[in-house]
Amino acid sequence: MANPSYFESHFGVDDNVLRRTIATAMERGGDFCDLFFQQRTSNMIALEDNEVNRGLRVVSLGVGIRVVQDDATGFAFSEELSEASMREAATVAAAIASGGGPGAAPAAIRVTPTRDLYPIRTGWADVPLEQKLPLLERINNRAFAADSRVRKVRVRFSDGESHVLVVDSDGRKAYDHRPMSVLFAQCVAQDGDRREENYHNIGGRVGIELYTDALADEIADEAVRRTLLLFEAVRPSAGEMPVVLAAGSSGILLHEAIGHGMEADFNRKGTSIYADRISKPIAEPFVSIVDDGTVPSSRGAINIDDEGNPVQRTVLVDSGILRTYMHDRISARHYGVEPTGNGRRESFRHAPLPRMRATYMEAGPHEREEIIRSVDRGIYAVSFTNGQVQIGAGDFTFYIKTGYLIEQGKLTAPIKDVNLIGNGPEVLRNVCMVGNDPEMDRGGWTCGKAGQSVPVSLGMPTVKVSAITVGGLG
Amino acid sequence: MDKRLAELAELTVDHALKQGAREVAVGVSRARFVDLKRREGKTEKLQASTSRGLSVALYVDGRFSSNATSLLEPDALRDFVDQTLAMTRKLAPDPYRYLPDPGLYGPTTGVELDLVDPGYDALDMDERQRRVVAAEDAARREGGEPVISVTAEMVTQSSESLQIHSNGFRGEHAATSFMVGTTVTVQDADDRRPEDRHWTVARHLTDLPPAAGVGREAARRALSRMGSRKVQSGEMTMVVENRAGSRLLGALLEPLSAASLQQQRSCFEGKLGEQVASELLTVVDDPLLPRGLGSRLYDGEGLAARRMPVVERGRLRTYFIDVYYGRKLEMAPTTGGASNLVIELGDDDADGLVARAGQGILVTGFLGGNSNPATGDFSFGVRGFVINDGRVGHAVGEMNITASLTSLWKGLVAVGNDPYPYGSVRMPTLVFEGVQFSGV
Repeated sequence: MANPSYFESHFGVDDNVLRRTIATAMERGGDFCDLFFQQRTSNMIALEDNEVNRGLRVVSLGVGIRVVQDDATGFAFSEELSEASMREAATVAAAIASGGGPGAAPAAIRVTPTRDLYPIRTGWADVPLEQKLPLLERINNRAFAADSRVRKVRVRFSDGESHVLVVDSDGRKAYDHRPMSVLFAQCVAQDGDRREENYHNIGGRVGIELYTDALADEIADEAVRRTLLLFEAVRPSAGEMPVVLAAGSSGILLHEAIGHGMEADFNRKGTSIYADRISKPIAEPFVSIVDDGTVPSSRGAINIDDEGNPVQRTVLVDSGILRTYMHDRISARHYGVEPTGNGRRESFRHAPLPRMRATYMEAGPHEREEIIRSVDRGIYAVSFTNGQVQIGAGDFTFYIKTGYLIEQGKLTAPIKDVNLIGNGPEVLRNVCMVGNDPEMDRGGWTCGKAGQSVPVSLGMPTVKVSAITVGGLG
Repeated sequence: MDKRLAELAELTVDHALKQGAREVAVGVSRARFVDLKRREGKTEKLQASTSRGLSVALYVDGRFSSNATSLLEPDALRDFVDQTLAMTRKLAPDPYRYLPDPGLYGPTTGVELDLVDPGYDALDMDERQRRVVAAEDAARREGGEPVISVTAEMVTQSSESLQIHSNGFRGEHAATSFMVGTTVTVQDADDRRPEDRHWTVARHLTDLPPAAGVGREAARRALSRMGSRKVQSGEMTMVVENRAGSRLLGALLEPLSAASLQQQRSCFEGKLGEQVASELLTVVDDPLLPRGLGSRLYDGEGLAARRMPVVERGRLRTYFIDVYYGRKLEMAPTTGGASNLVIELGDDDADGLVARAGQGILVTGFLGGNSNPATGDFSFGVRGFVINDGRVGHAVGEMNITASLTSLWKGLVAVGNDPYPYGSVRMPTLVFEGVQFSGV
């Protein structure tokens, strides 16, 4: 499926056009420039009130042109790939640079070989609707059949693919073809006069072959189970208490408590609470945290980043010691290190920033049961909807949709709808047990930063944090 | 409206009908924007671009899809319509999907909302630079020694759109906006680096206050965050700063949508006319405010905009009913979403309300959290200040509030006279009693 000449054969963007456009972008000087071409098609079909009766398709095409001088960025995009239109955008981006003679266009453009982290059998453009429809109907039927309290079921199947070409003033040219899909189910149930809703979803950079009947059943069963559980749920009492985070989606803690603070742009500006902490201990020695662009078929996987850099597995915290930030090209130059392949952007309409990919904690020495048993009074957090962080102050939150109370070392009543809030470095220091059961979550996580959304993945073993402030009642 | 885009919209309508669509709704839009960002005395980012797009909702053989594309050549558009029509024909029919009754469309001209600053194109790069420099310098002066980083930004946008429905609707909308903002990060004694931000935004450049004031306020706010700590959990009086309150109102409005009602995920089902908040709360959705950031003559479905009380003296007066879910619910459509939300004001300003509160927490921002529209349960992270003896004390962070929507809003005990001008929600300072805070 990888076709480095995709934009040449479809839109006539050949190496001569690329070189002339780069020459225009660099005509006022500048350290480097890059062109990010993207054609994206997204599809969605939705089931509601027992019918798959809503479809959506969104198509976009364009090129983002960026010129960088020192830490400064000039950026413009064009939604037409005519040479004239690209030249106009290149001229706007060039305005950031001043001084220095005109930068030269690259003498030659070389295709950079890339990985193949998400091979799929059939591109989403070639998957007929008839293959997707039965999955939604199956989930609907199974969810209603599961329990008479189920009142409403909504199912959405989203898929799409993106052709990406990055070309820069060093003559690097790298192509990627990125599939994406997610199957989502939501239930509303009624028990007496109480109503509850909850959801489950699974996805990744995968093809239709992932979506077996068994997977559809798993999504339906889990959506129903999580919804019905809420009828028995209470809200815990308010205040600081030990929190055990279940393996999997608890990785949202890493994303918010530490991940954003270790994106190098915040550190370069001195605005992160992790600025100036490289090589210092920030957690117990059994804590290692990784941001990895190479987890096959995960939402956070990328064969190249959006600046054309190769991706890698980046160890952020190694046995408790902070090792590196996540870099894009600007911050890597600032720190005099190689880019880590974290330069990402929402689309050609945005300039890249250091962003997370798949962020997870590695296995530790403790058994899950042992961790739960160690808590006299606290909570066990299972599923989450969202989180947020203040990078500099370090305060971060994540919202628990389902979980359990822990009383005298045992899981007791289910809990629901509470926010957890903590301070990133403090919570990281307070990670006092790490399970030997690491798990990547398969849900459709999306990260927002500076108005840009990118798909990410998260993972975690069972972890105990000695104290976090739990939003509760009484 | 851009003539070429208008022609493409008409071409798309014609082609879809010719290919068998029973009805079609097409929107085209064009937005030009410039973003200038300055940090540490230098330009950090300069971005300028124009974005165009076309959206098309297809109603064919009793079936429905909504689609959008940025490929705007006539041949590409015809291909796009052909492909999406073929996709739509494979979906299940939906008897509730057809365009609104033309009786719901109103005049789309004749009222002057004054949303376009005719001077937009005269704003040059030097003037933008002057404003961000003024904001940055003022922030540095005001912030002094603890300041680590100041970013000042000016973002301007000029947009226009045209919407055509095959059953007779045609509306045009145009607007400009000007935003100046500053973010300041300061270093705390314990190496935390609190930041805060201030911004102003207006439809007309002349309505923007001087940029230096934006920088000063951002610096004051960042400095005031130093030394923040959490306090004991408990039920307390909560004063919510005017610029922060829209988060609470947003949670109250989410369950009012027809989609939430029809999907049985609304805690306000069957509550029309009932008391959902204290008598002090009156909220009006007013799309016709001159120069308003949420102003419009018609909504996303073409329905004529009108002023609409949402909550009057605490009683729920309307839901947000779009045409589609309105049909499913057999309820008359109102509008699918809020425009400008105007809150009836009280007598006191923020200082007066803090003084009257005596003890409690002044909340100046929310962090994360979520609310459950089906049950009304919510839990939000908060930051702000303690209130002691009617005065603002030390900064507070890392705390949550947790409650249900109705218990919170029924505990509203005072409304300020200070509506926040830089958003579509004109929220004054609010005071709630008996709010559960969790901290130490």
